[in-house]
Amino acid sequence: MGETYADDASVEETAGDGLLTDERVRIAGLAVAVVFTLAVAGFVGLVLVDYVDYDLLAAVFPRFVFAFLRVLMVVVISSVLAVTAGVFVGLGRVSRTSLTYSIATAYVQFFRGTPLLFQLFIIYLGIPSLWPPGQFPISQSWTVVPGVLSIDWSFITAVVALTLNHAAYVGEAVKGGINAVPEGQMEAARSLGMSYVDSMREIVLPQAWRNALAAIGNDQVILVKDTSLLTVIAFPEILTVFREVNSNQFDAWTPIVLVAVTYLAITLPLMWLVQYLEDRAEWGADRA
Amino acid sequence: MRDSAPAVAFDGVNKYFGETHVLKDVDLAVEDGAVVVIVGPSGSGKSTLLRCVNRLEEVQSGEVRIQGESITDPDVDVNRLRQRVGMVFQHFNLFPHKTALENVTLAPIRVRGLPAEQAIRRGRDLLAEVGLAEQADSYPAELSGGQQQRVAIARALAMDPSVMLFDEVTSALDPELVGEVLEVMRALADEGMTMLVVTHEMGFAREVGDRVVLMSDGRIVESAPPPEFFERPETDRAQRFLSRVR
Ligand SMILES: Nc1ncnc2c1ncn2[C@@H]1O[C@H](COP(=O)(O)OP(=O)(O)O)[C@@H](O)[C@H]1O
Ligand SMILES: [Mg+2]
Repeated sequence: MGETYADDASVEETAGDGLLTDERVRIAGLAVAVVFTLAVAGFVGLVLVDYVDYDLLAAVFPRFVFAFLRVLMVVVISSVLAVTAGVFVGLGRVSRTSLTYSIATAYVQFFRGTPLLFQLFIIYLGIPSLWPPGQFPISQSWTVVPGVLSIDWSFITAVVALTLNHAAYVGEAVKGGINAVPEGQMEAARSLGMSYVDSMREIVLPQAWRNALAAIGNDQVILVKDTSLLTVIAFPEILTVFREVNSNQFDAWTPIVLVAVTYLAITLPLMWLVQYLEDRAEWGADRA
Repeated sequence: MRDSAPAVAFDGVNKYFGETHVLKDVDLAVEDGAVVVIVGPSGSGKSTLLRCVNRLEEVQSGEVRIQGESITDPDVDVNRLRQRVGMVFQHFNLFPHKTALENVTLAPIRVRGLPAEQAIRRGRDLLAEVGLAEQADSYPAELSGGQQQRVAIARALAMDPSVMLFDEVTSALDPELVGEVLEVMRALADEGMTMLVVTHEMGFAREVGDRVVLMSDGRIVESAPPPEFFERPETDRAQRFLSRVR
């Protein structure tokens, strides 16, 4: 308990400089970092100067923007649903009611134990074939923004599969977060006369949320990258556009640069958001 | 019924953890306003006894009553009866994501439905009573162990309990912080609060206790007012215990 005082940060800094590193290690590390950075910068520079076709880049840029918007739409919806559902999966995984626990466990085992690609096929192909041929009701497409976004069976499949799959991973993160909250927190809340549900909501889950934030954030970044699989269900995601451009124009590096920029335009703000949420969930210790 | 019944009563209570028999035929009555100090070696069942009072542990036979109402009755509204029992833990168990004041006001607002303004006013008064008026907006991580434990006492008092349970509340504190917590407990006893106190602080037992109860291997082996308990213990078990703690 005594270690958690406000000015510990400064103590750690001095310890970091004085005890944990050695001048020679520090210089060697710096040298490696500098060489590595120069090599990467040199290579990227070479690519940008000699291998990127800027006319082509300007011409195909809008298609990447549209892919970005489509993927962002799927990511935002799936991520919000997956985190919400994941909290309930996590609660099921710590439930003392054996039926609830068993259902939550089976759910997690299935969705973590089989490939997302397969889960996409189950929904995309399996569900419509429950109807007689040609009778599946969701066969048309509703245009939201012409040429950019339309809602059809592949969009719905994308959202449902990503949600179900990632709710399992978020659920495991939430379970770990709940288990890391000391037993005494629940006991203190219950001893005040608070109900189990109130104690969970007010006391255990906020702390579990903080414990699980890094793992949940990590999973949402993976969710973004998992959208690359959506090409198999005919969803025009980012790499689909890459392959069209690549095969039509015989140019690799122009679309490669655009793909990198497009993914990072989603994942970097996501990582910043997670960092912001983590910083906000410091209660006193590092604030003072 | 409520006026004549003891604040807390154990009636032939048996408690098992699996095969381990942890409380053996425990009978105990704590009168209104009494301070009962429970002592005994580690593992003798002191914490379990306290935790049965607010049903943090279930008993296998016998009955525990709060002011005559059975809390061991499977049909009882346990959340309602728990409001009458305040508990303070060895490791404080403050809510780390809430300020001292929020720790104190949470249950009155959530459970008793007190208007926030009223709960805050009462919360500030309670924090002032335990000497922490200035720390109302601090988070637990910003407080010393002694301060945290005093917030925990204020938090329990905020529900206006009729009995307070203390489970080795000074054991996790640096020695120089023990006094400030014992002082708060002493003041509470002086105000007439009914208290069940598990402690190794024999000075406190002697000066504040109305009765000292010795537990050994799940049984109450001696129960007497402090002068008798410390000067003329009846059982061998008590004599041996006292020779070790002196
Ligand atoms: N949750 C538990 N599960 C199993 N055994 C327990 C549990 N809690 C306590 N015990 C056992 O019950 C006995 C009494 O424990 P406790 O009431 O904590 O003793 P004390 O507080 O007097 O040290 C000990 O033998 C302990 O190992
Ligand atoms: Mg104990």
